[in-house]
Amino acid sequence: MTGLFYNLIEMIIKRRKVYKNLSISIGGLIFFTTLLLFVTILPHVSGFSTKVLYSRIFILAVYGMSYDILRGYTGFINLGHAIFFGSGAYIVGIFLTHFGNNLTVLALAILTVLIYSSLAALIMGKIVFKGGGVIAAAMVTMALGEIVRNVAERWREVTMGADGLPFRVPDMFRDRIMIYYYAFLFLIIMTLALRQFILSPTGRVLLAIRENEQRAIFLGFDTKKYKMIALQVAGLSAGLAGAMFALLNRFANTDLLTVQQTLNALLMTLVGGTGTLYGAIVGSAFISLTQDTLLDLRAVHPIFDRWLLFFGSIYVLVVLFMPSGFVGLYNSKMAKLQVRLVQRKK
Amino acid sequence: MDIFLMLLINGLAEGALIFLMASGLSIILGLMGVVNFSHGTLFLWGGYLFVWAYTNSNSFILGIASAVIGTFILGALLEVLFVRKTYGKVTAQILITLGLMIVFTDLVRLIWGATPLVVARPDFLAGAWRFGGAVIVHYRIFLIAVGITVAIGIQLLLTKTKIGMIIRAGVQRSDMVEALGINIKIYFTLVFTGGAALAGLGGALFAPLVGGISSGAGMSNQVLAFIVVVIGGMGSFIGSAIGSVFLGLMGALIAWYVPQLAIVANVTLMAIVLTFKPSGLFGLAVKK
Repeated sequence: MTGLFYNLIEMIIKRRKVYKNLSISIGGLIFFTTLLLFVTILPHVSGFSTKVLYSRIFILAVYGMSYDILRGYTGFINLGHAIFFGSGAYIVGIFLTHFGNNLTVLALAILTVLIYSSLAALIMGKIVFKGGGVIAAAMVTMALGEIVRNVAERWREVTMGADGLPFRVPDMFRDRIMIYYYAFLFLIIMTLALRQFILSPTGRVLLAIRENEQRAIFLGFDTKKYKMIALQVAGLSAGLAGAMFALLNRFANTDLLTVQQTLNALLMTLVGGTGTLYGAIVGSAFISLTQDTLLDLRAVHPIFDRWLLFFGSIYVLVVLFMPSGFVGLYNSKMAKLQVRLVQRKK
Repeated sequence: MDIFLMLLINGLAEGALIFLMASGLSIILGLMGVVNFSHGTLFLWGGYLFVWAYTNSNSFILGIASAVIGTFILGALLEVLFVRKTYGKVTAQILITLGLMIVFTDLVRLIWGATPLVVARPDFLAGAWRFGGAVIVHYRIFLIAVGITVAIGIQLLLTKTKIGMIIRAGVQRSDMVEALGINIKIYFTLVFTGGAALAGLGGALFAPLVGGISSGAGMSNQVLAFIVVVIGGMGSFIGSAIGSVFLGLMGALIAWYVPQLAIVANVTLMAIVLTFKPSGLFGLAVKK
């Protein structure tokens, strides 16, 4: 039985070598086809809450991946990442409320989100990459994030403060099935784009910075410039994810700007696996589904209503016992299996 | 003139509160290389424990004592159970203290509810003096006195005792201290719990000043302490003292003259300091 299993694995690995350029294996192909079918059929057979739940998972996965670009590929812990996500949501909300509810305004809003995110990333980078290491960066970005949240809370005329900002969305985003597909499409496009970025020469330099920044400097790379590029990419994608999130929820509030929101992205990448990009998708699904299950259990005991308590506990446990996450775990298991196979040959 | 006196007192009192948090944070950072993101949560626990004990016993002293002792024990628990497991791994430390921050902040909401608790100042500190247009609240003078006492106490501890000598040496080179046969881990625990107790004291004194405590207080004060640590230079005790006073005074002045800028001013200050002196005003130039 185990022998058969080993043969199967060996076959998959061999196939992977043949199709290296496509970097796809037969097993993977079957897996992804099934997944694609499931995702396509799902909205037609499920209820309202499931559709929203999965749309959330898709959009938050992009937010998680944007975080992974920073944390996983440059090692920079940004505790103000919610600035991009929350502001993206607010900008869409404010535009749709004040300038009319149509696609032209939405397009303008998206453009503004991109400009805003880019500028915010520029300012953040200028302050953070000035000096000090990971620690100083974490402290400074946390302070920046809190400031932006405070501004949103005080600036009541525009953001409606702590009450939150409800708004109407253009007709094409009103149907729950359609927004589900848009969210899925958004995830696919962003995954491909970010993957391309990681595989590009710039992405390789970022990996080098994460592994050993000093060495990257000695090799002649201007590491500050590369980190800045990573922050720009991460900020822009998080801003877009925030905009999509606003279109899904038709609501923006200051919760989207809290440290908690940043930690959400951090936990997604942690659970899924840091520096794996796809890990964020796994993490997003895991966290949203866990949260949903726990909320269903609140009839059993009111403690299940306290999501943050569970969130924090999962977080601490993952940091202590599973620092490489699901995808990281899978990768290392596969690598070990490969080593065992080679040894068997001998 | 009387306005300036009032603003001076307000600013110094604010500075004293920030100092109670920032000094612990800074020494922990300097000695252990741990940036404690759950420091604000300890501040919050101090505040809630104080309000709980004070309203039940009606004794101000007992309230302060329970806050300090409670956060001391909590700090020891956090250090021994979690933080100790991650020494030497900077990223894991940041992540784990962030997780603890979430759990223990939500525990506060679970135990004492999400609505803010109200607390009055004790009778003997409730009064205020009036000079022309200025109002000087007795409680603020009390805060300044506590702040100065604690600052002198820590300074004496750090410069005049053997423990202080080892801590100062540890801030410079902890591996060298260990090589001399001193168990630095015990000092790590000591400094961490001491910092926790100071944060708890800060929380306890903060609640009567603003008339109550809510679960968001930990985060907002932690951010102020972070800004002080970054401005003052990481690991520098003097830097955190001067930074606290400076931030407090600036906050009082801005809140009086241009309240709209109150939030942005701190960050602007931080950005300016980081631009011209990335290691902080009193930075030790040791990269941890």
